[in-house]
Amino acid sequence: MQTSILLIVFLPLLAAIVGGLGNRALGNTVVKSLTTGALFVSCALSWPIFLGFLGWFGLSAETQVVPVMTWVQSGTLTFDWALRVDTLTAVMLVVITTVSALVHLYSWGYMEEDPDQPRFFAYLSLFTFAMLMLVTADNLVQMFFGWEGVGLASYLLIGFWFRKPSANKAAIKAFVVNRVGDLGFMLGIFGTYLVFQTTSIPEILAAAPGMSGSTIGFLGYRLQTMDILCILLFIGAMGKSAQLGLHTWLPDAMEGPTPVSALIHAATMVTAGVFMVCRLSPMFETAPVALGVVTFIGAATCFFAATIGTTQWDIKRVIAYSTCSQLGYMFFAAGVGAYGAAMFHLFTHAFFKALLFLGAGSVIHAMHHEQDMRYYGNLRKHIPLTFWAMMAGTLAITGVGVLYVFGFAGFYSKDAILEAAYARGTGLGNFAFWAGAFAALLTSFYSWRLMFLTFWGRPRWIESEHIQHSVHKTPEEAGEDTTGGYHPHESPASMLVPLGVLTLGAIFAGFLFTGDFIDSEAFWGGSIYYNENLIHALHGVPYWVKLTATFVMLTGFAIAWFAYIRDTSIPGKFVEQFRLVHAFVYNKWYFDELYHAVFVKPAFWLGRQFWLRGDKGLIDRFGPDGAAWAVAQGSAVAKRVQSGYLTSYALIMLLGLVAAITWVLM
Amino acid sequence: MDYSISLRLIAPEILLSVSGLVLLLVAAWGGQKTGRLVSILSAAALFGAGLMLFPTLHLGVVGPDTFAFGDQFRADAFAAFAKALIYLAGIGCLMVAPTYFDRLKAMKPEYPVLLLFAVLGMSIMVSASDFLTLYIGLELNSLAAYVLAAFLRNDTRSAESGLKYFVLGALASGILLYGMSLLYGFTGTTSFEGVRVALSGEMSTGMLFGLIFVLAGLAFKISAVPFHMWTPDVYEGAPTPVTTFFATAPKVAAIALTARVALDAFGTQVDAWRQVVIFAALASILVGALGAIGQQNLKRLLAYSSINNVGFILIGLAAGTVGGVGAMLVYLAIYVAMSLGSFVALLMLRDENGDALATFADISGLSAKRPALAWCLLALMFSLAGIPPLLGFFGKFVVFQAGVEADMVALAAFGIAASVIGAFYYIKFVKVMFFDDASERSVADSTTAHWVLLVVTTAIVSPLGYLVTPSLGDLTDKAASALFLLP
Amino acid sequence: MIQTIAFYLFAVLVIASAVMVIMARNPVHSVLWLILAFFNAAGLMVLVGAEFIAMLLVVVYVGAVAVLFLFVVMMLDIDFAELRAGFVRNFPLGIAIALVLLAELVLGIGAYQAGNLDLGTPAGDAAPMLGESNIENLGALLYGKYLFLFETAGIILLVAMVGAIVLTHRPPKTQRGHQHIGKQNARRPEDATVMKQPEVGKGVEL
Repeated sequence: MQTSILLIVFLPLLAAIVGGLGNRALGNTVVKSLTTGALFVSCALSWPIFLGFLGWFGLSAETQVVPVMTWVQSGTLTFDWALRVDTLTAVMLVVITTVSALVHLYSWGYMEEDPDQPRFFAYLSLFTFAMLMLVTADNLVQMFFGWEGVGLASYLLIGFWFRKPSANKAAIKAFVVNRVGDLGFMLGIFGTYLVFQTTSIPEILAAAPGMSGSTIGFLGYRLQTMDILCILLFIGAMGKSAQLGLHTWLPDAMEGPTPVSALIHAATMVTAGVFMVCRLSPMFETAPVALGVVTFIGAATCFFAATIGTTQWDIKRVIAYSTCSQLGYMFFAAGVGAYGAAMFHLFTHAFFKALLFLGAGSVIHAMHHEQDMRYYGNLRKHIPLTFWAMMAGTLAITGVGVLYVFGFAGFYSKDAILEAAYARGTGLGNFAFWAGAFAALLTSFYSWRLMFLTFWGRPRWIESEHIQHSVHKTPEEAGEDTTGGYHPHESPASMLVPLGVLTLGAIFAGFLFTGDFIDSEAFWGGSIYYNENLIHALHGVPYWVKLTATFVMLTGFAIAWFAYIRDTSIPGKFVEQFRLVHAFVYNKWYFDELYHAVFVKPAFWLGRQFWLRGDKGLIDRFGPDGAAWAVAQGSAVAKRVQSGYLTSYALIMLLGLVAAITWVLM
Repeated sequence: MDYSISLRLIAPEILLSVSGLVLLLVAAWGGQKTGRLVSILSAAALFGAGLMLFPTLHLGVVGPDTFAFGDQFRADAFAAFAKALIYLAGIGCLMVAPTYFDRLKAMKPEYPVLLLFAVLGMSIMVSASDFLTLYIGLELNSLAAYVLAAFLRNDTRSAESGLKYFVLGALASGILLYGMSLLYGFTGTTSFEGVRVALSGEMSTGMLFGLIFVLAGLAFKISAVPFHMWTPDVYEGAPTPVTTFFATAPKVAAIALTARVALDAFGTQVDAWRQVVIFAALASILVGALGAIGQQNLKRLLAYSSINNVGFILIGLAAGTVGGVGAMLVYLAIYVAMSLGSFVALLMLRDENGDALATFADISGLSAKRPALAWCLLALMFSLAGIPPLLGFFGKFVVFQAGVEADMVALAAFGIAASVIGAFYYIKFVKVMFFDDASERSVADSTTAHWVLLVVTTAIVSPLGYLVTPSLGDLTDKAASALFLLP
Repeated sequence: MIQTIAFYLFAVLVIASAVMVIMARNPVHSVLWLILAFFNAAGLMVLVGAEFIAMLLVVVYVGAVAVLFLFVVMMLDIDFAELRAGFVRNFPLGIAIALVLLAELVLGIGAYQAGNLDLGTPAGDAAPMLGESNIENLGALLYGKYLFLFETAGIILLVAMVGAIVLTHRPPKTQRGHQHIGKQNARRPEDATVMKQPEVGKGVEL
């Protein structure tokens, strides 16, 4: 098992290095085969470990720590580079390697015409390696290494089409916003080291209960040590997982290629925050205030992102806000103590959200890179395979299922989360339950809205500029034929195969694993904090609670059906009626504008001041420029003094003599 | 006074004097065509005189055994080291001269003879341990130098430079004599030893005047700011072989002499002159660097460069320690090599008509035409700029080190900062030669003598030079100790 | 007493005449002031008992050098007006410097020290031979203690002479207008003239 762990983690790195350095020298096919092959091997090695923890098919596995090398030895600060694999890591391993392998394969088709394919695949593999480092971390510094590694890969991949200004901006935005979270994370790590004198995660978790109730002095206040540390760490998680306040980068990150969105901004990287909270769950359990913060932020994000998702037109942005919202579910699940449910939702979400993104990619591919849903319509007959895959994803995310019989993936995980929030019984728990329930309604609405706009109704293709370019017609020329004579084509097999695999996941992942993830303490094997009582209470919630999710799902579906199939004038009327509300939501609650006014502008102003006044005005003026000026002036003076006249030479000699004598006499 | 011992101690000077007199006769009877022969014989005489220094230099002989004529003259290791440098520089200048003057049809046998007498004067200067000896040596050197500067008497620039040098030199001489008179008046002796004893303790104002005047007179010879004004004009106007000579041998002699006066005669009053020397050092570094930046004429630029280098050498003197003097001598040795090499390179920069390539515009793109020459110049210029691993860096390094060890950190720091300014124009050479478009001027072939000198000096300043630095350091330490015999 | 009066007289005069040397507008006057300065310096020498040096000053400097100067100055073609213009321009600054230097000298050597000015008593080889004349004392020093320097001074003079010759001597062959009688006599008409008979309409080809 040790060898396979090493292979899982380092094969992607090897592929990234070889592919990245080899780049064009190796050629598209070699690099693509190499990276994809490496990922499939990793994936194939990961599943047995996961199944071993499940104990299925006679396989078995136990928690392992594989030492790689001594990393830092500095005074009392010593830590090794070691790969820790327990149940929690195993879950992440299968998610990461599976989705990554499928995305690699998908990219063969999606990126076919791109001139820089080796670079893309090397980045993808590099990302995978960093993500694996993050989840196998045995100490906080190693986790931070992976944390920054995925940040870097995310930056590189969002800005992959670096000739596009909007992509560059989005990449920088993602990087900068993440720095805010990273600062919190770093402070959290520093504080943890300060308090526990170690960065080793097992040692910290073992010592955490003992520190409960201790206080720390800061700026004259006495603060609860654990609350402070956990909130700081959670700020890191907020940045990485795009929670309310630090979420603004995620929608913009959709500038990256769609496979990237599926891998990084849906299935893996953005869930790192959830993973971190779960990994440190024994520590968070000692910090009630911090858990309250997690619950509140999670619930608020869940609701807030869902509202925005209902108004967006860009297919990828809808899914992006959906991701944001779903991450909110995971966080408030963790916040109420249902870490198993959080991880379960993370697990199922990875499948159906990756599926939705890849499906959206397939649609975009078919529609000649048009991303605006207003210009879709009636696609289900043209790209039926994509349609069915998307349908499976939508059923999964909206949580379709019949209690005690069968449900799609989201049915189990989302229900578990809502029940856990209700079962918690606290005020925040109730808030989270109602926010989650309302968000589920919105989820159902925007998901079906997406489906109806894309696959039903009449084709509105000719209004898209992309399509116009493709068919060389303006809407006027096309006349009645709103297809403009455009023929959407189904994607190649390399894109359809991943869709198929993920469809299976979206359908069965919930049904198959719910017992272990939610109910089995033995499965987790102590890798997360398992709250026996909460799980008990979860199963004992009233029936109306259990049915709430299904009810709101159906309601959302009904509204969507009325608005987008039955009478397509309803949305327009609604917007007329509630212009202000719509504008507020449509403009993403004005977060970007607010940040621009509050942070960006003052920061630019400050930067400009430092640049003009400080750097140019002070340092350059008296530093390099001033010195150069002084030298030039001095040179001119030296030149002028050297007049060639004997008398002036003699005069200067005598002046020097007088000066010297005056000097020594004084 | 035992004359036989004294005469044995001044054997190199006797050899030089006799050779000079005999060669003068050869010149008088042989006429113009003996120029080359007299040059060779003069070089041989210098070489012979240099050989005589070897035992003193090698054994590091210092102390009363080296006193000649009742301590008017000291043939100690310090003097021997300086003389060795002077003789070598003299030989180098003799080697390059005939070609230059032949081309102008101005080669006369008096040139090597005058050069020989100038070297004799320097030889006496560096051995002087009495103000009278000092003055006699200085004037012998100066008179010969004035004539050499004006040697191309039909060239107005040469004549102008000779006249300027003479007038300002006379003024400096007057200042020096005045200072010596004051010192004699207040101490009643002209010997360094006597002055040293008389100056210990509280110094009267008159003595202070004398001290400053003497140092000012000497500062003229080493062209330290503000007594440097003659240097650019004279260096530019004088025939290039003569400039080569001026930039090397007399610098060594004057600096060695100044060191001996400052540390021996004024050795008990170091604090009185240190500030003045520090000022001269800083001002020389700065003025040398600033003056050079605006120059287009290569010879004039190198003149400023020599002023600049004198500043660094004076840092070693300002330290006033054995280490400081040792560092100064090391720097001097390296400086002579760099200076000789760069002036020889200038001499080699001539077109087919024999006209000098005198400005930056002329040498642009030299690397394409004469790569070997360009690369040698590159090494020399980088060395002058003090860029490691070339030997010029080592020279600066030891001087700064001596300064720091003498608690003059600010001075050393300023020197380092100012050497950056200097680096500008040294590197400009390289930039112009290697990166600019080639000028239309062709470059003529050079004689073997030039090449030999250029290659040898380049090899010395190249990292190969580090092979000899240990033994060089050994020699300079022995030599420097000669100035610190008394507490 | 009388010595003190004489000293101050000579001293004041030597300084005053030295000032006049550079102040005088006419170079000839300058040389004359210079001669006065030499005389007064000789007087000072007599006062300190160095009568031989006093004689040398008068004989060599006044008799030879100064008179030579006078000849040279009179032979030079000097534009006095221009000379003065330059001088006047630099005069204030020059005076200022001179004043500073003077003030410091007065400050330095000052009142009391001028009174005790001690020329020192040479000892050892340089000690004066009591009872001997000035000339003998000088000779003993020059050919005894200072032999090396005396001989070297000889070389300096030689260099000065060589230098003067090198810079001024022109070989006779470069002189113009030299007549060669033999060459003139050897010249024949057929070498010097050519007979030509040009055709009509054509010129002579030289």
